[in-house]
This record gives sequence, structure tokens and C-alpha cells, in this order.
Amino acid sequence: MSGVSFVGIDSGTLLRAAGVLATALVVLYILKLRRRPIAVPFALLWTRVLSDREATTLFSQLKRIFSLLLQLLLVALMLTALGDPRVAVNKTTGRHLVVLFDASASMQATDVPQLPLLVDKPEVPTALKTRLDVGKERLRQTVRSLAGSDRMLIAAFDAGVTPLSTMTGDTSELERALDKVRPMDVRANFAAAVRYAKDSLRGLSNPEIVVVSDGALGEIQDGQGPVDLAGIKLSYVKLGDSMTSRNVAITQLSVRRYPLDKSRYEVLVEVTNTMDAEAQVELELRGDGKLTDSVELRLGAKKSTSRFYPNLAGVDHLLEARVRLKDGADDLPVDDHAYALLPERRRARVQVVTRGNMYLTAALLLDEYLEVVEVQPEAYPADGTFDVTIFDGTAPAVTPECGGLFYLAPADDTHTPFKLGDKLKSDKGFPLGFDELQTKHPIVRSLSLAEVNVASARVLESVDKKDVAVGRSLKGTLLLAGRRKGKPFVALGFDVRDSDLPMRVAWPLLVMNVIGYFIDEETAYISSFRTGEVWSIPAAAGEKVASLRLPDGSKHPVPVKEGRAVYLGQRAGVYTLELPDSKVSFAANLADVAESSITPAASLSISGVTAGELEGFTLNVRRELWVLFLFAVLGLSGLEWLTYHRRVTV
Amino acid sequence: MGLLDFFKRATAPLVRRFSARPVVAADELFDDAFQRKLEYLAIVSKRVFSGSMKAERRTKKTGSGVEFADHRDYAAGDDFRSIDWHAYQRFDRLLVRLFEEEEDLSIYLVVDSSESMGFRSEKKLRYAKQLAAALAYVGLANLDRVAIVTADAGIAMRLEPTRNKKRIFRVFEFLRRVKPGGETDLAGALRAFVAQHKRRGLAILISDLYDPAGFEKGINVLRYNKFEPFVLHVVDQKDASPDLRGDVVLYDCETNERREVTVTPGVLARYRQEYADYLAGIGRFCATHQVTYFRADIEVPFDEVILRVFRRGGFLR
Repeated sequence: MSGVSFVGIDSGTLLRAAGVLATALVVLYILKLRRRPIAVPFALLWTRVLSDREATTLFSQLKRIFSLLLQLLLVALMLTALGDPRVAVNKTTGRHLVVLFDASASMQATDVPQLPLLVDKPEVPTALKTRLDVGKERLRQTVRSLAGSDRMLIAAFDAGVTPLSTMTGDTSELERALDKVRPMDVRANFAAAVRYAKDSLRGLSNPEIVVVSDGALGEIQDGQGPVDLAGIKLSYVKLGDSMTSRNVAITQLSVRRYPLDKSRYEVLVEVTNTMDAEAQVELELRGDGKLTDSVELRLGAKKSTSRFYPNLAGVDHLLEARVRLKDGADDLPVDDHAYALLPERRRARVQVVTRGNMYLTAALLLDEYLEVVEVQPEAYPADGTFDVTIFDGTAPAVTPECGGLFYLAPADDTHTPFKLGDKLKSDKGFPLGFDELQTKHPIVRSLSLAEVNVASARVLESVDKKDVAVGRSLKGTLLLAGRRKGKPFVALGFDVRDSDLPMRVAWPLLVMNVIGYFIDEETAYISSFRTGEVWSIPAAAGEKVASLRLPDGSKHPVPVKEGRAVYLGQRAGVYTLELPDSKVSFAANLADVAESSITPAASLSISGVTAGELEGFTLNVRRELWVLFLFAVLGLSGLEWLTYHRRVTV
Repeated sequence: MGLLDFFKRATAPLVRRFSARPVVAADELFDDAFQRKLEYLAIVSKRVFSGSMKAERRTKKTGSGVEFADHRDYAAGDDFRSIDWHAYQRFDRLLVRLFEEEEDLSIYLVVDSSESMGFRSEKKLRYAKQLAAALAYVGLANLDRVAIVTADAGIAMRLEPTRNKKRIFRVFEFLRRVKPGGETDLAGALRAFVAQHKRRGLAILISDLYDPAGFEKGINVLRYNKFEPFVLHVVDQKDASPDLRGDVVLYDCETNERREVTVTPGVLARYRQEYADYLAGIGRFCATHQVTYFRADIEVPFDEVILRVFRRGGFLR
């Protein structure tokens, strides 16, 4: 069969398998011919019966040989089918295609031809067809018209790349893969997808990448640099209608409580018009489902505007911003609303062990949600359980009821989780203060401590590598934060009365930040995450796994590392992280101007290679010979079965 | 009170003592009701045989019976008491009265105990034992002399001629000991039988007649030696329709003769036909040679065979 070659299992393997199977078959056949011995009461009768059968012995043997040949033929046919024989003409035109199916948020746009409305039943809600649906339909037609020797792999790409099929010519597998494509509320990572396609096509003949997308894919470049297609053909199946695309989006939503009055909060909303024309939009702000504010805005083409809502009150939990066009719905609903969650408020109990510190007392008075208990060092510990204990100039043994520990100028380091180092004094040559600050650390966030002057201090020496030197002078650490056995502590190496810190706004804020840090109620609480990024969600230390409830209600286990649950979120909405002892809710929004710009790209190019139209697929008859071989096997098996039970071949 | 009841009472202590012994086997051959029915039956004999003891059957021999048979001329030495004086007055000749003498009948039960009779869980042999036991009881009840022999290639076991139905338990015990084994050679076995039994009589052959040398030879041995052959052919219908399929090696359970065969529906049909021809040949032989022949199918309940089939066939009166 010079015109036929095997594209499945190679011919060498097939020959070896044929040899083994044929040998096994012959052995089995010989075994089969071992007759069962059966006793009869009077063999003479059988002798008489068989006397006229002697002439047929040769015929019987021929029948057995025929039966063996039939079995060998069945094996040969099956092995040939496994080899997937192809006619050479077909093989030379076969291609290897990797279909990259865009599953990003913009593929949910509905700017595609819709089905005619149900006139008879207008009350029946009909889901609008999206770009993704149209892409599936077009690709399904392509799959059905694949040439017999073509191979295709379908992968969806959103924030990552998910292969949905093998490199196969099996249309049913490819169609099943298409059914698995689901849109995500994220920006597409196109560079990773192209790299994946390149790797999949390495070493294969006639490679081709087919991108099914609206083309809003951003820069084709990532940390590894630009992507080089290296001779791979690029095709583009364009989805969406650039003439009709209409979309406005909420691209930012942020909320935070005021540090000193946690009953009140402020909200920042950014609305973007991604269209090429001016738009009249209506922006709504809802708190716990109730309308809080509504305003009409006029947005220029491709313009964004921010709206700030200060001093709001009356909402406990969920904030939602909605935007819509005045003259009807836009084409991408997923970015028309955004959510944010307010941090929970609770009254924290603070134990202050001090001989009297007016500045500290004054700072604590600023937060009405604090329940402060002052005790003399001799009376320590006070009754009850506390969230925070502030040791002012003292450092006694810590009781389990102390909560987070805030040391202010500890006198000795017998019971402290750190060591006290050299004494430092400020002089003309060396003004003592914070020379280095970890400005992103929660306890100093939004604070200005660089100008603080300190008269004298003790260097704080860390005994654990995980401790963070939040504020350092050139001669040593002055502000140290860390955690021992799950219990956080913060230490300040000087008495605030030996500095000008109490004279600054930063002092009460530092105290509030430290207390907020201890009770996980940060003023810089992350009210919402952005989809498509790896989230680091605060979780209780000590847990290894938490359960995350997604906006659709499904639950997924997520790993917890160093007190943070890690998860790649791809859906917008409200999430709940469930731990054995607590629950944390947070929101996730698309918040991506690029993804909200749904105007489809007219062309697609990667590293200077411009994608062409998907071509070469014509409706033809799939010439897959293995199917015919399998039918032959079935037919022969049926014949064998029939003749066996008719006692023709036995 | 039946004989068996009496026997049971008499032997109850022994039964209790040896309860482990398989005396139950005797009960399996007959139950009380069955024996009571057989008590009143007797074997019809087509011929009158001579015998030494008075019984309920007439013989050709004239002698001391009560029924007149004939006259003959007086000869010297005859008993004067037998001279018929009335005849002397009328014919003036000395005539001696002759009487028919009632004598017993010898019944020989020849039970085939070859391996083929034990084929398929000894069903045929068991059936043959039951037939033999029943016939023996009937004979004993009619004061006939009953002897039993088992035959394979020769005479394997024998029960000496006996009378009186009290001896039925010896019959049971004897039959219980009979086990299948050996090849079938009816001619050889019956030649030995004839040599051992000089008194002629009814020879009941209970067999499946699977004799490779031919059953005819065995029956002819009986015929040529003035025995009255009576053939009870034990038949198992499963021998006619064996459950066989595919490639098999058939071997004779007695001779171990092997034969490779591929059993197809056609072969089975030919075998059935051959079997039917074989049975028909046996019947034809017996009919042409005036041998009483009866076919006993083991699927027919035993009671029915004894009480109905034998009566319908004229075997019992």
C-alpha cells in the first residue's frame, strides 16, 4: 500500500503487535481444539453414527483453518484501524491547528446578530447571544468541515490558558471541547496563550494558530519579551461589530471608613466611556441594596470621570455602583456594576499598662469604638480579655488574654519578644529619627514619620527573621513589628515624650493603625479585588486550607500561606472566605478599562505577522479509513458469531 | 399385620443398635403399602416347569397331585392304589390313574451390573434393583424358587435359590451390595449362569442391553438351554438425547474406547435415529424369537411400572 501510510500507531509497533497477537491467537486456537472428554454409556452407537462422517474430516479441518484465518483477519483489521491509515494525498494536505479561543470578559459583549424575538411569546425571557456564542458556532462549523488528515487542538485563554482537547481529528472530541468554553470576567493573557500554542505546534507539520477573538487583546508581550511566531501561520476569526459596539463601564470603585470615625466612609467611583461618541450615563450608588445616590453624567468619547462621595453613612456591608446609558443598555453588562464591601466595625478592648501617659490617653480617646482599660503596672493584668495591650515603659510577663502587644519604650527585655540594644542619643552630628521606613507596612501606611525627631531611644533587636523593621534609624531599628505564636506585636524603641511625635498628626494615627493592625481592621482595608489577578486574602494564621464561596454559590478549597489565602479570581461578584472560626467577605470587579473597550480589532498581528482569514476549510467528506476497517471487523465478527451458533464453523 | 411390620418389630433392637447401618436402603426399595399390593400377585408362567416341591402351579409331570390327568397301562411295580378299578370293570384293562402334580417355579433374576448401568448416578442400576426386588417378592410370595445373579463380563454375584417370602430381606441385602462395574458380556455371563443352574425356569434379564458383542447372543444362550427368557429393558431417555455440543472426545464408560466427534445438530439427529433403530431392533428380535420383552423407562414412576404397566403387559395376573 504505497499510497497509504499510518498516522496513528507507527508501522513498526503495529507489526510487533501483529506478531504477538497472531502467535497468541494460534496458541489459543490450538488450546481451543483440545476437546472435552465426555463419557457415554454405549460408544458403539456413536461409532455407527460417525462411520458415514469419516469422509467429511477433511472438510472439518478446512473449516477450522478457515475459522483461524478469519480470526487472524480480524486482528489484522483491528491493528490496521489502530494505525489510522491515511491515503497519501490526504496526508500531505493535513495541517496542525491550535485554536486559541478568547474567553475574556469582552467576549460577553452582545454586539452580534441576535435571534428574532419570539413574537408569540414576548414574555419569555431570551438570553442574548454573545460574541462567545457566535465564536463557538463558527468554530463548530469549522470543526465539522475539517479535512480527514487535519488535527486540531482547542484551548481557551483568559487570565491563563486551558487546553480543552488533545491534538486530534476527532470531531466529537473537538465539539465537546467547544462546549466547555466559558467566559470569564478577566482580561485575556494573550501572550501566554500564543506561547502555549507555539509550544504545542513545535515539530508538527503545517502549523497554524487560529485566534477566535474580538481582537481586544492588548500588547502581545509579557515578561519574557515579545512573542515570535517563528513561521507559524496565523489566522483570525473576528467576532463583534465595530460599528455598533456600545459600552460604558465602572472602572474603579473604592470605599474606606474614616480612621477616626468608623461609622462613616467615603467612596470613589470611576466611570469610563469606551465609545467613540459622547455618552449620557446614569450612575447609581447603592448601599446594602438601597439606593444611596443617583446622578447623571455626560462623558466624552473615550473619557473617564471620577466621582467622590465623602462622609457617607448608613451602610453596614455592601456597596454597589451601577452605570447605564440613558438611551438603553450597552453591549457588555459585566462591567456595568461593581461591588465593594465595608470592613466590619466592632468595639475593640484595649488594656493600657502605664503609670500615666497623657499623649497615649489622648490618642486613644479619638476612637469612640475603643474600650480602654488603664491599669498601673502593679495592678496588671486587668480582668477580662483584650484585643490589644499597650505596655508603656514596662514589659511584664504576657498573659494569654492580652491580645496584640504594643510596647512603648520597654524598660527591659526579660519578657519581650525582642531584645533591647544600644542606647541612642540625638546630637548635633546625628539627629535621631526614622531614616528608613517600610511605608507599605499597615502600621505606618499614610503616615509621615520621616520628620520625627527623637531625643533618645533604645535599639530594638529582632530575634526572628520574620520580624519586620518598620522604622529604622541609621544606627538601629526603632519601630519593630512581628508575630510570636500567632500573636502580633509592635514595639517602639523610644518614649514618645522624648520626641516630637505626639505633636504630630502621625501619633494618633500610628496608634490607630497599630490597633487596627492587631484587630485586622485596617483603615486601608481592601474593599474589592480586581479579577484576573492572584488575590492574597487575609485569613487566620495556622490554617492550611480555607473554603472560598464564589459568586455563583460554588465552593472551592484554597490554600492558606502565612495567614493569606491565595486564589486566582476570574469572576466578578461577592466572595466569602470561610474558615472554621470566621468568615471574610470581599468583592471582585473587572475594573479594567482595556477589557471594557470592546470595539473589536479589525486585524490581529503578532510580532509583525498579520493574521489572515481562516481559509482552506471546505466542506468535504472525511476519509478516515479506520472507520471502514472497524466496520469490517464488526461485520466479520457478526458473521463468525452467526456461523458459530449455527454450528457451521465448529 | 404385614410381613414388613413384623420384621420391623422383630429387628427394632438391632436397628437401634446399628442405627448407622444403611438399613434405610432396604426401605427405599419397598415401602409397606407397596409390598401389600404385590403380595396378591403371582407370576404368570407360560410354560409348566417341573419341580420337586408342591406349589401353586401345575407342571406336565404327573404324580401325586389331586387333579386327574390321564390313564396308562399298569406295569409291574406300579402302586396298586393308583389302579382305576372302575375302568377295569368297564374295559377289563388294568389302568393306572395319573394326576397332575402342582410344583414350584424357578425364577432367575439376572441383573446387569455393568458400568453402563451405573452411568449417570446409577439411575438405571437402582431402577433395575427395584424391579428385581419387586419381582423377587412376587415370586417368593407365590412360593416360587427365586435366585438372583448379577452379570457383567461374567457372573459377579449370586443369591442362591430361595423360597418363602420371609427371605425377601436377604434379597434386599443382596441387592444393596450390588455396585456397578465391569464391561458387559451377556453371552459369557449367561453361559456361566446356565452352567451353574441346572433347574430350568423363568430367566428375567434386567439390563440396558448395551453389549458391544450383541445382546442377541446372550438371549439365545437362555433360549438354547430351555430357559424361558424374559427381557426387562431398562431405558434412560437421556441416553437417547445427550446434552452435547461442539468438539468433544467421547469415550465408552465401560471399554474406554475413545472417539473424537464434533457434535452438531445434524450429528445429534443421526444419533437419535440410531438409538431409536437400536431399540426397535431389540423389540423386533424378541418378537420374532418369542421372547417376552418389556421396556422399562426409568422416568416412569416405579409404582406405576409394577402395578399398571406389568399388568397391562400381561406379565402379572
